[in-house]
Amino acid sequence: MQQVLSLLSDYLGVLFLILCLGLILFYIFSGRITEKISMRSIQAFKHFRREVDLAVEAGKRLHISLGRGSINELQGGSAFIGLTILDRCARAASNSDRPPVTTSGDGIIMILSQDSLQNTYHSLATEDRYDPTSARLTGLTPLAYAAGAMPPIHDDYVSANILAGHFGSEVALLTEAGERNRSLTVGGSDSISAQAVLYATSDEPLLGEELYAAGAYLGEGTAHTASLQMQDIVRWILVVSIVLGAILKLLGILS
Amino acid sequence: MKKIFPITNAVIAVISGLLVVLGYFFPTAFGGIQATLIGWAIILAAFGLLLGVFNLFSVHWKKARNQGTGQIYSLVLLISLGLTIVLASISGPTGALSLWLFNTFQVPVEISLLAVLAIVLVYAGARLLARRPKWNTILFLVTVLVVLLGTVPLLFIGEITPLNALRDWITQVPAIAGARGLLIGVALGTVATGLRILIGSDRPYGG
Repeated sequence: MQQVLSLLSDYLGVLFLILCLGLILFYIFSGRITEKISMRSIQAFKHFRREVDLAVEAGKRLHISLGRGSINELQGGSAFIGLTILDRCARAASNSDRPPVTTSGDGIIMILSQDSLQNTYHSLATEDRYDPTSARLTGLTPLAYAAGAMPPIHDDYVSANILAGHFGSEVALLTEAGERNRSLTVGGSDSISAQAVLYATSDEPLLGEELYAAGAYLGEGTAHTASLQMQDIVRWILVVSIVLGAILKLLGILS
Repeated sequence: MKKIFPITNAVIAVISGLLVVLGYFFPTAFGGIQATLIGWAIILAAFGLLLGVFNLFSVHWKKARNQGTGQIYSLVLLISLGLTIVLASISGPTGALSLWLFNTFQVPVEISLLAVLAIVLVYAGARLLARRPKWNTILFLVTVLVVLLGTVPLLFIGEITPLNALRDWITQVPAIAGARGLLIGVALGTVATGLRILIGSDRPYGG
């Protein structure tokens, strides 16, 4: 057993990626995704969709905070989900008087958020609505970032804050600002400490993998739904492997 | 041209991403090109930082020029930014003036914010029951209280040994199990996000 594992260990990572990629491609191209798949109800996304519609109707603004993760590091992954949400918000609010505003704590993420906004407006033929200052870098240290992101939340016209990216416990300052402004706060992060803080302080927390399901829940395309299917299957494989490993260790087969 | 550029961006991104990923698994074959690409990414990130600072300047320049409640804060930020750039240019990033600026302004302000953060967290904890009156909220708050009481010695009583033992069990067994479950979800989500970018389905780079 151990010989098999040691033989596999060198290539386990690449095999895992191939499995994940294979499953995503299978679900995209097999057409199975077109069938209605059942997704459990996540309250945060329901409220988010309703708030986006209300914001457009009431001429209010949405604030999307992409955190302070750098794309050169692992934490950047959650910011990409924030960019997906930004694209959705910008499309929904394209007819609104007030386009969404984004804040981030990393230069590259700020550029990507500007780019996302510009591309969305370009695809909707509303390029004149694009304002480069609606995507902002607010600070480079955790607390400087939080302090800089608070004024946009305090803006009277902001009706909802979506916090999607890498945060630490400083995210409590942002949720508190949202609470004072009586605006809805939906928050998700890759960091465990930020998730605990968001659970306690935000209106609608997104825990664990829920943040990464945003694209599928907001209707961002087949690839997002396919990757959600892949995550479900691989999660079960991991659960079975962990339980099997525990049993084998208990029996003394694995050291 | 408008159609060619997005495709070119996607092709460059997909090929670069694939080479970097392959470099992790086959370092002898792809390690060199991976190191070069990561090196380029670091240089680009530094330029990104410069553009970020320029963005910060332009946002606050716009605010400072408009009459409004936040005008004075934007002016303070612009003056501080200018002074910091001048002083850090004269003395260097680790020079006496730069360190003086950091220790005199940055550190005290951030420590004050940390103090505010502690109060905000206590207040949020107290408000949680009113916001979400459910059994898991009660469990969350009871766990927080047990861990807090098990961590700090109480006034006139000192440490309570059973609470210490309970705190250790909570942090080492259910908390770690829960955190690992959440981290597996986060890791799978990150892999899925990366793969979508790698196959060109998600293009957060103007594709």
